[in-house]
Amino acid sequence: MGTLSKAKREKRAYWFILPAVLCMLFVHFIPIIWGAYISLLDLDVFTLAQWTSAPFVGLGNFIRIFSGQFAVGQKYLRSIYTVIVYGLICIPVGYVIGLAVALLLNRNFVGRTLVRGLILLPYITPDSVAFNVWRFIFQARIGLVNKYLLKLGLIKEPLIWLVGDRALTAVIVASVWKGWPFACLILLAGLQGIPSELYEAAKIDGASPWQQFTQVTLPLLRPVTKTLLMLNVIWNFHAFNQFYILLGGSPGDAHVPSTFIMQEAFSNLHYGLGSAMAVCLMIVILILIAIYMRFKKGGVSYETF
Amino acid sequence: MMKRVKTGVLGIILGLVLLTSLAASGQSATITFWAMPNAPDETHIPWIEQKAAEFQAKTGVKVNLEIVGWDVAWQRISTAIVTGEGVDVFQVGTTWNPQFAATGGLEEIDINEFGGKDAYIKANLESTTYKGKYYGVPWFAETRALFYNVDMFKKAGVQPPKTHDELYQVAEKLVATFGEGSAIALAGTNAWDLLHNWSIILWANGGSLLTKDNKMAMFNNEAGVKAMQWYVDLVRRGYASKACAEYNQPQADAAFINGNVAMCYMGPFNIAGIEQQNPGLNYSVVEPPAGPKGKASFSGGSNLVVLKASRNKKAAKEWIKFLLQYENMVEYTKNLTHMLPAQVEVFADPYYDSGVWKTFKTTLEYSTAYPPLAVWGDIETIVQDEFKNVLAEYVNGTYNDKTVEKHLNAAADRVNEALKKEK
Repeated sequence: MGTLSKAKREKRAYWFILPAVLCMLFVHFIPIIWGAYISLLDLDVFTLAQWTSAPFVGLGNFIRIFSGQFAVGQKYLRSIYTVIVYGLICIPVGYVIGLAVALLLNRNFVGRTLVRGLILLPYITPDSVAFNVWRFIFQARIGLVNKYLLKLGLIKEPLIWLVGDRALTAVIVASVWKGWPFACLILLAGLQGIPSELYEAAKIDGASPWQQFTQVTLPLLRPVTKTLLMLNVIWNFHAFNQFYILLGGSPGDAHVPSTFIMQEAFSNLHYGLGSAMAVCLMIVILILIAIYMRFKKGGVSYETF
Repeated sequence: MMKRVKTGVLGIILGLVLLTSLAASGQSATITFWAMPNAPDETHIPWIEQKAAEFQAKTGVKVNLEIVGWDVAWQRISTAIVTGEGVDVFQVGTTWNPQFAATGGLEEIDINEFGGKDAYIKANLESTTYKGKYYGVPWFAETRALFYNVDMFKKAGVQPPKTHDELYQVAEKLVATFGEGSAIALAGTNAWDLLHNWSIILWANGGSLLTKDNKMAMFNNEAGVKAMQWYVDLVRRGYASKACAEYNQPQADAAFINGNVAMCYMGPFNIAGIEQQNPGLNYSVVEPPAGPKGKASFSGGSNLVVLKASRNKKAAKEWIKFLLQYENMVEYTKNLTHMLPAQVEVFADPYYDSGVWKTFKTTLEYSTAYPPLAVWGDIETIVQDEFKNVLAEYVNGTYNDKTVEKHLNAAADRVNEALKKEK
């Protein structure tokens, strides 16, 4: 017992991870490779039953999805634009709210643990539940948003939130609500990693609370901030649940890449085009992940100061 | 030692494979049947299971029933077609039948084996075809008619409308009595069957979705523009609630069923919903009001099809024949689904000449099916997309006289592009 050589131990370790690797292989890697292959085929309703013999079109699908001449191209580009706008608003807003609350929670007060638990509520609510509730909240006739806006006299008649230009606003509000607690959680952990001596030293040097925040807190939060932002960018780029649940399967101009791919591939049976779009989405996300890994490696901690 | 273990394991695996393949070949007497929730599960499942037991007693073939929701059915069926696994015989919506036939995944049907062409309602039979061949058997039919709230009509002192113009006049009075948005409930951007609702109006205006040879879009002509404007105007004039712009069909139905709104275009299947949710509702049904060019309605329903890759095609066809037997059809439509039979013979049952059923029966006689095309799904998506854009423009406040024309022309361009793929 316990006298296994290092090589043998390592060998045994491989056996232990084998089941997981096999699962990954069949659930992730093989389908991804198949998907990439399908993106080179003209696979649609006519070739579905004999899909292995669908005509090979090379990069034809990729040209179509980025060409403004085709409806599919226009819509795909539009969906990318939408998801970028969505991310550019959701991420900073979520970050600021998360940071403000994290700063508050970093102080000592009675019931702090309870409040810390409570703020996680939106984060731990399943997407399907949370966004369905938001869908009701935004409904024109019975929704709470219109009810209160009318009561406050801000609008004269009920607004329609889930169709047209306001649809994206509705999704952003719901997503910020759902997303900020995660930012808060991570930033709070970051705050607690900042040694109190640094603040004491700053105070002795005569730093005002604002200076303490900008000179000590913010720089030391930089590593967690980077991680947080990167994760948020990745998650936002393939946002699906919030759009699909709030706006339905075909939300017109409020399509994001994931919902549009779903519609093209699975509802309209354009598997070739859908796969091409999915491959592009995956490449973007892989690049983002590569950047994220770089960030993580090159992380800064207070010891480097 | 290790080697012996390995051979042993291999032997066991081989044995198992042999056994299961033997079992599979001996099990030819089982078929899997997918049906959509055509009636509430509590009555629907026991009925089909009882019929399956009768069928097994007669033929020795066991039927495994699975209820597949409409929301996932499209997915499940396309998967079954790609893999050739999972199901032998299943239900498809009439508008789906030609598309799945085009994939090459459905078994061709010899209609004479199922009583011949004349045994079925024409529009439903047409929906089973693709390039002149049959790929399914009509199961049940449905069509859309105008439901109205008798009490609200009495109070407003109006009669059910017979034409589009009359519908506007009636709506005007209803709104005067019950307030804005109370005249009619409409499905909006979230409706998956937005096209069905609009095509009724389109056809009544003398319009058509495609040219006769199915090569070009035609819905963007004057009749089409007029039909869509008429539809949107129901909301713009305040006859329908502005919130209708975001409704799906069940939301529109619910507004009528709850008794808040006086009219709604609905189908026979909604009667079950009324009985369940608001049995006290005093309603009646009239044929869809006629447009300038006459009466029209949408022909829908479901067909039964056999998967080409099925190993039990013969048994699957027998099961279809069994379900289509006279008594089974009467029971299934009358007591369970509140749909209409798609078989001429069954329709002769006196029940369908009573009450609201007579209205549906009359409407069905002139209702229209969509052209049986492989790219129909694309066409439906495109037209609905642009229709949604029209409604979105209304919501955004940018709607004007040219809006409908602009979007219908855009839709027509895209539809023509899609039609080029039709082989």
